[in-house]
Amino acid sequence: MRIKSTTCLTGVAGVLLAAAFVAIPSVAPVASAAATSSSTYLVGASEPMTGAEAQAGTEIYDGELLAVDNINAAGGVLGHKISLVEEDDACDPQTSVNAANKLVSLGVQAMVGGYCSSAAQPAEAIYARAGIPNIQASANSSTLTQAGYHNVFLVDPGGPLQAQEAVGLFTKVLKTKTLFIADDQSTYAVNVAQLTAKGLARTSVKVLPVEAIPSTNVDFSAVIQTVRTDKATAIYWTGYFAQAAAFVRQLRAAGITIPFVCADGAVDPTFIKDAGATANGTYATISVLSSFLTGSSAKAFDHAYASKFHAQPGPYSAYGYDGIYALADAAKASGSLAPAKVIKALHGLKFAGLTGEVSFAADGSRLGAHFVVLEVIGGKYKLAPQQPTM
Amino acid sequence: MTWTVVVPDIVAGLFLGAFLALVAVGYSMVYGILRLINFAHGDFYMVAAFVSYSLLAAVTVGTKINWGNVVWVGIVTMIAGGVLAMSVERLVYRPMRRAAVLSVMIAALGVSQVLENGVLNIPAWGSNYLPFPVTPPSAGFNVDGVHYTWTQVVIVAIAAVLITAVWWIVNRTMLGTAMRAVAQDRAAATLMGINTDRIISLVFFIGGALAGAAAVTSSLYYGQINYLEGFSLGLQAFTAAVMGGIGNVAGAAVGGLLLGILESVGTGQFGAQWALLFAFGALVLTLWLRPTGLLGERVAQRV
Repeated sequence: MRIKSTTCLTGVAGVLLAAAFVAIPSVAPVASAAATSSSTYLVGASEPMTGAEAQAGTEIYDGELLAVDNINAAGGVLGHKISLVEEDDACDPQTSVNAANKLVSLGVQAMVGGYCSSAAQPAEAIYARAGIPNIQASANSSTLTQAGYHNVFLVDPGGPLQAQEAVGLFTKVLKTKTLFIADDQSTYAVNVAQLTAKGLARTSVKVLPVEAIPSTNVDFSAVIQTVRTDKATAIYWTGYFAQAAAFVRQLRAAGITIPFVCADGAVDPTFIKDAGATANGTYATISVLSSFLTGSSAKAFDHAYASKFHAQPGPYSAYGYDGIYALADAAKASGSLAPAKVIKALHGLKFAGLTGEVSFAADGSRLGAHFVVLEVIGGKYKLAPQQPTM
Repeated sequence: MTWTVVVPDIVAGLFLGAFLALVAVGYSMVYGILRLINFAHGDFYMVAAFVSYSLLAAVTVGTKINWGNVVWVGIVTMIAGGVLAMSVERLVYRPMRRAAVLSVMIAALGVSQVLENGVLNIPAWGSNYLPFPVTPPSAGFNVDGVHYTWTQVVIVAIAAVLITAVWWIVNRTMLGTAMRAVAQDRAAATLMGINTDRIISLVFFIGGALAGAAAVTSSLYYGQINYLEGFSLGLQAFTAAVMGGIGNVAGAAVGGLLLGILESVGTGQFGAQWALLFAFGALVLTLWLRPTGLLGERVAQRV
């Protein structure tokens, strides 16, 4: 009997292993290698198109498509029409590596895309080896620039600035006594959580040990118990939006009314939809978004996006848009599509994008953007009346 | 770790435990009768959640909860879950009855993928997190400064009633005797005049219906649904079934509650990053001390 049950368990382990592989979905690229011709500028876009972050990935990709349309309509880049090759990274490190290999083998001359830092990280080496620009639209953990690759550029300003904004919010605006920080164990969320905790170390805010909540967790009752027992007076959630909604709903149902602050990973219309009335009064730290920018280019972007995709741009759509423009402007400046020359031009690039002035530091991190605090008022994201920097 | 601090964690674990127990019973019964670990079972739960979502969205005006609607949607969803499970058995598992168990398990994984990606591609459902159409009221009572809602109490009560009913069917009725006979020896049961295919269908129906009940109550409780939610919950429920002693209803219930409580206490006492380690450590310990699970004695005798 023993032998029999052991064989069965080995079988189960095998099946589970198989499940891990089967669970990797694949999406056919929009354009195939056959579509390449001498007059196209082939650009890869690796984003989550399936899985839990599919929504955000699609929104970034749509932002990129819009930029490509505009550029192609104006004659393309140095006479070459941009052709985007979309590849699903499923917000998953392994899938992302497969996607990167596939894009490189298809012969893309640059990569613009990316949402999940944990998926972007292992793919960095592949784009670096191929020697093509790796422009990350929205993956923005500071770990991405630490590997020292010369071809990595982050359009989204990322962890350190966000943490700095959060520190300002908790010390100056909310005047928090005891802060409960929680992440979802993803690279980016952990990065923001740790940087914020570190930034608050020299202030009067007492920071509880950072709680790392598995991203599959939907039941927050035990976490809420900890919030209650440790007498936290504010919460900073650095993970993504789906869990944020579950967290704040269960928190309010448990009768706890302390301020709930999200990092930018949780800024998404879905958060407000899912959290319902409990979304009201929550805060979020995020870099300036197109929808909060005034000016004609932001309005034109919103309008063009809505008429093409029949939806409002997502929080990161503008980064996808600016990412494509960064690439196109760099190629124009260098007068060549040769990846090495474009990379060189990207380092010296400076232009007015939707998300503020776009230029990059020596390590590839974004310069020229700044963070703000949003508050959900009446079911909509608004600039919070009190900003830490004022 | 003081007692007064642990009690709220244990109570909080009851809710997760109730959902796990409902799903685990389906895993356990199917295993008991076919020796099949039905990896699609978690996705029956997920599809049922989407069915209840669409039904409730169709009849709900605003977000005001109408308990009459919730009750009939609950019943229809249970039937839908049962019918889905039964159909999968009829279309996929029955033709493979003579195949190796491992092949059937791979087929189960295939069904799981079909269901997940099927839901993903239905326009009204899709990949996004959908807010459940109704929000239960937060009215309830306080114990020791901790707020519990009546909805939470009702959820645990529903799970308890349903699992007891299934236990009663399996252990106290003629039908249950037939089920146990099929589980013990299918050929002999057929010779005794039992329609084994019908009994197997029925077992799938019951498992699917309980998954449907778990889907409605948990969607109500957590407030959002997603097409991937079945996989991780299914894996946990499977673990619960193994812990309690796979193949029997009471074991699945005990395993579900225990796993829910362990995860909750693990989170509360050691932090969320330790919860799964704590819960699965307990699983390893259980299997080490009792390889057939907590209440698994009968399975051992039978095999």
